[in-house]
Amino acid sequence: MGFSIIWYLREFLRAEWLRNFFFAKTAPLVDPPYFRGYPALTGKECTHCLSCMMICPTPGAIEVLRDGETWTPHIYPGHCIRCGLCVEACPEDVLDAGRVLETQKRDRTDISVRYQVTVNPDTCVRCGNCVVACPVNKEADPQLGAGGTSANDEVIMKIHRGNLWVVHDEKCTGCKTCESVCPTTAIRIARVAEGRQEVGK
Amino acid sequence: MKKTVDVSIPVGPVHPCWKEPVRIKCETRGEHVIGTEVEMGYMKKGIERIMRGRPWQEVMFLAERVCGICSVVHNMVFIEAMESISGITPPPRAAYLRVVVNELDRMASHLLANFSYCYTIEHETLGMYLLNEREHVLDMLERITGNRVNTAYMIPGGVRYDLRPVDEKVLRETLDLLDENIARYTKMFETGPMIALRSKGVGILTKEQALEAHAVGPTARASGIAVDQRTRHPTYKEIGFEPVVRTEGDNYARIMVRFEELKQSINLIRRALAMMPDGPIRGGGICKGGEVRYSGEAPRGELTYFVKADRYGRVEDIAIQTPSIMNIDACSHYMLKGVSSIADVTSTFISSDPCIACNER
Amino acid sequence: MTDMLQKLKNAVRSRSIHVAYVDTGSCNGCDIEVLACLSPRYDLEQYGIYVHNNPREADILLVIGCCTPQWEDKLKGIWEKIPEPKAAIAIGNCPVSGCVFNREGSYVNPPASKHIPIAASVPGCPPRPTEIIRAVLSLAPTIFADYEEKRQ
Repeated sequence: MGFSIIWYLREFLRAEWLRNFFFAKTAPLVDPPYFRGYPALTGKECTHCLSCMMICPTPGAIEVLRDGETWTPHIYPGHCIRCGLCVEACPEDVLDAGRVLETQKRDRTDISVRYQVTVNPDTCVRCGNCVVACPVNKEADPQLGAGGTSANDEVIMKIHRGNLWVVHDEKCTGCKTCESVCPTTAIRIARVAEGRQEVGK
Repeated sequence: MKKTVDVSIPVGPVHPCWKEPVRIKCETRGEHVIGTEVEMGYMKKGIERIMRGRPWQEVMFLAERVCGICSVVHNMVFIEAMESISGITPPPRAAYLRVVVNELDRMASHLLANFSYCYTIEHETLGMYLLNEREHVLDMLERITGNRVNTAYMIPGGVRYDLRPVDEKVLRETLDLLDENIARYTKMFETGPMIALRSKGVGILTKEQALEAHAVGPTARASGIAVDQRTRHPTYKEIGFEPVVRTEGDNYARIMVRFEELKQSINLIRRALAMMPDGPIRGGGICKGGEVRYSGEAPRGELTYFVKADRYGRVEDIAIQTPSIMNIDACSHYMLKGVSSIADVTSTFISSDPCIACNER
Repeated sequence: MTDMLQKLKNAVRSRSIHVAYVDTGSCNGCDIEVLACLSPRYDLEQYGIYVHNNPREADILLVIGCCTPQWEDKLKGIWEKIPEPKAAIAIGNCPVSGCVFNREGSYVNPPASKHIPIAASVPGCPPRPTEIIRAVLSLAPTIFADYEEKRQ
């Protein structure tokens, strides 16, 4: 017991402790520059590629909206989890959060995303909803048939001889419109992401 | 001795000492606790269910949010499970950076656990000291990864940000500061007679009981079982690692194991920084299909992910086994039996470092 | 006279706020960030804010987490136990939107304003302690100001 009291007295009579006790200063209420905050616009022009929306892990956190002639990404606080993936995925450096963009430039890292259209043949009912709804298909073939048939070979997928064929899945932009219109959730878009770094000078 | 119950006292789900909701029903005779029953399920969100059918870049964030206190290790184990499915090896610099961040996270978690214990036994001075040290650790995490908790640092094939030379210097300085301070606080805990009165000989878990209850992590290591998944991790093997073991098995031993692991973590980070080569931090690589059972050591014990992925790297099925469930079971069945008063129930429960968010997901 | 009394009450109430927090199924991230506000670095108590975690002596309830089904009735019960004047603040994304958990198939029922009236929210996953303190401080002078007049 006696030893402990001496020990505690020694602890509380240290010069450092006394200095801290009498001249205590709380930290100012500011966020440090290395904190990864909400993504902010850098002023560069958005090309409406929607890479940020496709990689976002949170429902309803980011939306690219039309703003007159240009497109602008909007971040919703309350949904955004400040992971910084949209900053890394954006090819045009429209967004920035904390030091993410600076670090990315220095390390020359990026995240590339590739989309794969997968159809489960057991549950697909060949209704053609996905073919008609797909915005890329509409651009590639304006004369798309109502049942999903097409004479054009430039479309992503089409109904041919009563079956759904995925022709060009490298054209997919990952918008997932087909998933939302599929009545049996047979069509799924796999977003295959890869974190890369350029090595060498 | 006839087993008659006087009063059954529920503690929780909202209790000043507990940060998370859980209810313990204590059957008491007089002040003596005869038996306890833990009631859980207040935090069930169904994370494993919403993980299914999603690619790694979404599951990674869900895995992190299984537990906010040990978020880095959940991220690390999930990513390493995906890597072992797909045959991706991270570059050596990335592997060492993972160890650095994981050990910083472990230090933050252990400091929080010891703070909670000190707060529960009403030794607020030491608790606040430890909470202040935790701020230094979180500062370093924020410098390296950009966020204090839920850092989202690791991705398949590497890590997201490199360690800058400036930050490395600050990290070394902070480690020196932490080393000095933690040594002092450890001595404060070791030699305090009031702390010893509330801790030594309270909530004893013997080695046989620990084996029977499948206790893991610091709870098992305080009972003399040298179990640590880090001994199987390739990067930790290179660095060199020996688990900390004590044999008393009471509250005091469990807290002391955490204090000693803090010291060990500082040394691990120092060695990792010394051994870290220059080079790339991301090796690339695409996730493929397969299934694996992968274990890692969370601050609370063994953490296992069972992951089954389809050929595009989407998670088809996932099961998470978290350490807290075993420790809570060991606590309620063995430690809390024979505790001499209700006041010691909370401190004994806290000493096993239960994480309800991990437990129920 | 009543004016003076009201001014005194306002001044006292803005400098002495007792806080209880309830975790309704979060990931612990926001939980420990609230705890970090207590640490000597941020020192919440210098502003007159005391965290008790006891609803019977609280003025402000901090709601953390995305309101799992088990908490629906209990959250209301805790809210009713708090004496008037009272207010609830949602900390983090979870009580606002459900964060990443708000997907098809999960057992959550956000937002928290469905269950109890929420006066303010601090978004972020998790918010930094500085953000939490800034929000609470900006709210403190106004939230209980002229409470008696407003009630009439």
